Amino acid sequence: MIEIKDLKKIYGNRTVVDIPALEIRAGETVGLVGNNGAGKTTFFRMLLDLIRPTSGAVFSKGEDVSKNSAWKDYTASYLDEGFLIDYLTPEEYFTFIGSLHGLSVAHVADYLRQYEEFFNGEILNRGKYIRDFSKGNQNKVGIAAALMQKPEILVLDEPFANLDPTTQIRLKNLLRDLSVKQNLTTFISSHDLNHVTDICNRIVLVEKGQVIKDIQTDENTLAELETYFSG
Amino acid sequence: MLTTFLTHQWKSFWRSRNRGGSIAAQVVLGFFMLYFMLIAIAIGLFMPQFIGKLFPGQDVFVVFTGLLLYNFVLDFAARLQLQDLPTLSIVPYLHLNIRKQQIVNFLNLRALFTVFNLYPFLLFGPFTLYRISQAYGTTAGVMMFVAVISLSLFNNYLVLYVKRKSIGNAFIAILVVAVLAVFGLLEYLHIISILGFSSAIFMPVMKQPLLALIFPVMALIVFLINSAYLRANLYTEELSTREEKKASTDYAFLNRFGRVGELAALELKLILRHKRSKNSLTMGALFLFYGFLFYKQEHLAKDSFGMMLFAAVFMTGISIITYGQFMYAWQSAHFDGLLANKVDFKNFIRAKFLLFTIASTLVTLLSSFYGFLSWKLLLLHLAAYLYNVGFGTVIVLYFANFNFKRLDLSKGASFNWQGVGATQWILGLPFLLLPLVIYIPFGLADKPYIGLIALGLFGLITWLMRPFWINMLTKKFEKQRYKLAEGFRE
Repeated sequence: MIEIKDLKKIYGNRTVVDIPALEIRAGETVGLVGNNGAGKTTFFRMLLDLIRPTSGAVFSKGEDVSKNSAWKDYTASYLDEGFLIDYLTPEEYFTFIGSLHGLSVAHVADYLRQYEEFFNGEILNRGKYIRDFSKGNQNKVGIAAALMQKPEILVLDEPFANLDPTTQIRLKNLLRDLSVKQNLTTFISSHDLNHVTDICNRIVLVEKGQVIKDIQTDENTLAELETYFSG
Repeated sequence: MLTTFLTHQWKSFWRSRNRGGSIAAQVVLGFFMLYFMLIAIAIGLFMPQFIGKLFPGQDVFVVFTGLLLYNFVLDFAARLQLQDLPTLSIVPYLHLNIRKQQIVNFLNLRALFTVFNLYPFLLFGPFTLYRISQAYGTTAGVMMFVAVISLSLFNNYLVLYVKRKSIGNAFIAILVVAVLAVFGLLEYLHIISILGFSSAIFMPVMKQPLLALIFPVMALIVFLINSAYLRANLYTEELSTREEKKASTDYAFLNRFGRVGELAALELKLILRHKRSKNSLTMGALFLFYGFLFYKQEHLAKDSFGMMLFAAVFMTGISIITYGQFMYAWQSAHFDGLLANKVDFKNFIRAKFLLFTIASTLVTLLSSFYGFLSWKLLLLHLAAYLYNVGFGTVIVLYFANFNFKRLDLSKGASFNWQGVGATQWILGLPFLLLPLVIYIPFGLADKPYIGLIALGLFGLITWLMRPFWINMLTKKFEKQRYKLAEGFRE
């Protein structure tokens, strides 16, 4: 599904990302873990063609993402608040994102009904612009807007941060569900080792831009990661 | 404690990320300030001559005192519109072990640092301390000075109080100016006399200097009311203006343009829902009167359009210039989102053209009231309009590719140099000079109307070439987008 070849990003003389090869197969849920400054966000940005790699390329379904934007048809993402148009109400934002994928207003409203539980009554019809919501609720808007696009590939940067415990659990169930039912390929990063080992079937550990470990999750993975990070 | 607060403020000013950015912007701003200050001082020094010119044969001091009331009402309206509440700066101190009174004192002191409190010294200082002292004695001069400064302080704290109680909004400021204009007109028609009323208030002070003490007392009362209110309501939530319920809106007229219309609607919402863009809009509306400075009867009679072309291009293209100069940066906060989502870049550019065309057409229609001055101006505006929509838009959107500065939309637009870089300065040159370059050969050859036709034709042809420009701009944008996104993330 996604193939990374010789991907490098260098700022000045500091190498932020250096991944010779990495392949993600369809239907995998991959967790990207690493301390701050490991290059997770930079990597995601290159994956989404927001940063030009110093060398190498990201291929999605065999096509270079920086050459062709066909990948946008089946890829949805939420990295940070920079993805939200914060002067819109959530309803307006969902309608806009929906319209990019050919969804009518009625479709969008219909779709949002499924997520009433996820929103916990805090998002819709609140008479506020997105900028006036708390960070956690902004996160919810971003994630829901990404899921609404019915993607084949989903990219989320620290989706659990700022979410309340209930929503964290609901999000985990949601992602697990989508991976099984729609064969969704998910790429998430997180600082919460419990959550990633819980939902991901593959963990990629990065440090200083390099892949240190690339493991299939089993019952020992959490312990292994904890040992690594406490060392 | 107060000095600590002030040094923090000083540091926050000098260390702020967005401090006007480049040194060039700072220098230009410095020159502007100096220029205005010099003008204020010059008017202050030569006040008797000015008054003599404007109100021949009247007593200088009577006129001066008569104008004071007008000045302070105008001052009030201007402050209401432009003076900011120094509220946010106290957030980091509220939870610390600092007495409330100290924070209130800091807020009050901080509020004094504004241009509005500087200009009375320059404008009225020389006249009161020098001229009035000469004519009515030193005590009278000094006391008049005290009175004028006190009134300024009175306005200062009254505006803050009104703003804090969120009674005031832009509408009130406009209302005040309108009422003032009506009174001015009535004055002119000799129906009522505010001048006389104002003189009646201030002239006695010249003769009985001690009467002036009433003004400091007034200022003190407002100051105390303001302090008491602050003390009782020292919660940032209550000190900033109140929020109203926001509703989703839909611009039906843009729907007919499909995807492009949707993107244009998005941008229209951006303009209407941010302080900075709304401010630009009101300023743009004020520029509609710019023509009165340039459209002189002598130029009209001689058909010398070259002298008036600048104003025409500027007015009909004001929306393109003010909004276009910060193009792409308006969307800096969600630029990543636009790139990562399925937004067709061609439509993205088309939406901007659409918005410019609509705005420019509206402004040109509004400016058609100049037709009452002369029908020739309508021709001039039409040519300028065609140029603006045809080629001005292209210039602006081309330069947008080199503007990498993030724009903070939450602050007002006046004297806001955040996000200003070299692009804004360079952009104006080709935009305003090109029409002159096209017109001047015809103007010199004494064929003014052919010149206008040439300019209009140039605009029309470039307008018809729009698909070509869209392709070119999209290609450029595709190349520049990484750099733009990187700059906007700062």
